[in-house]
Amino acid sequence: MISCTEFIWVYNELFRYLEVRGGEEKVREFWQGIADNFLQNLREYIEQDGLEGMHKYWTHTLTEEGGRHKLTLYDDMFIIDMHDCPSAKLVHHSGRVEPYTKYCEHCQWLYPPLIREYGYEVDYEIISCERGQCRMTVRKPPAGTDG
Amino acid sequence: MANVHKDFHGALSYAFEFLEAHYGDDGLRDFLDQLADTVYKPVVLDLKARGLPALEDHWRRIMDLESAEYALRMDGDTLVLDLHACPAVHHMRAHDYRVSDHFCEHTRIVNDAICRRAGYLATVEYDQDKGRCVQRFRKADA
Repeated sequence: MISCTEFIWVYNELFRYLEVRGGEEKVREFWQGIADNFLQNLREYIEQDGLEGMHKYWTHTLTEEGGRHKLTLYDDMFIIDMHDCPSAKLVHHSGRVEPYTKYCEHCQWLYPPLIREYGYEVDYEIISCERGQCRMTVRKPPAGTDG
Repeated sequence: MANVHKDFHGALSYAFEFLEAHYGDDGLRDFLDQLADTVYKPVVLDLKARGLPALEDHWRRIMDLESAEYALRMDGDTLVLDLHACPAVHHMRAHDYRVSDHFCEHTRIVNDAICRRAGYLATVEYDQDKGRCVQRFRKADA
């Protein structure tokens, strides 16, 4: 059994394998597949509780994954400030695997498109993949629009 | 203490399905086999250096982290891991994640890849429906 504690390295190796076999396109297709097939629980949180649901979802997942981060919830905005991403740290600093150069892009492809489906505006910025720093800002759509 | 986010098992199951759909059984096997040269290289080296106690330590650490129901014992020259309740399969079922049709086969492929590189043999008998398996490890020339 591959342990969930080894998953990040396996994920990195999978991205590298897919890129060698099918190019960057295939890696993105996989990320899209994860978003479509595996993030149903995030969809449920958003459908039920909007921004608060996002806050609940990432409070749970980021607490389990560890690392250092700050989640901020306003009435009209939800922000993840990742200061020290545990995944990026394992990939870049464990010496276990050769880092996939676009490793951090998977979050960019997984989450913003899904959240935008519900009418929110999303900015996602990778600040430093090696340092495990990024920021995602989700804004409620302006009043008077659907979402 | 490593962080344990068990939803990763579900993402892994989806990854197996994706690999199988796009590159067939051979692609999935090829990918899993290569993990012994990267992710599991430290386990291969430790197994070569220390023998079965290395593998015993590896499994005890993993199974304890995953809060698995298991037993580890030596049966003559063979290390036996009896996994009564697989944490991956049981977590996925409990959270309605799809378990890929050949999910448990990955254990056979990865164990074989690690052991082959270190001069050991691995076998596994699994029952994916029940989420349990028995894995055995011994030196290749024993």
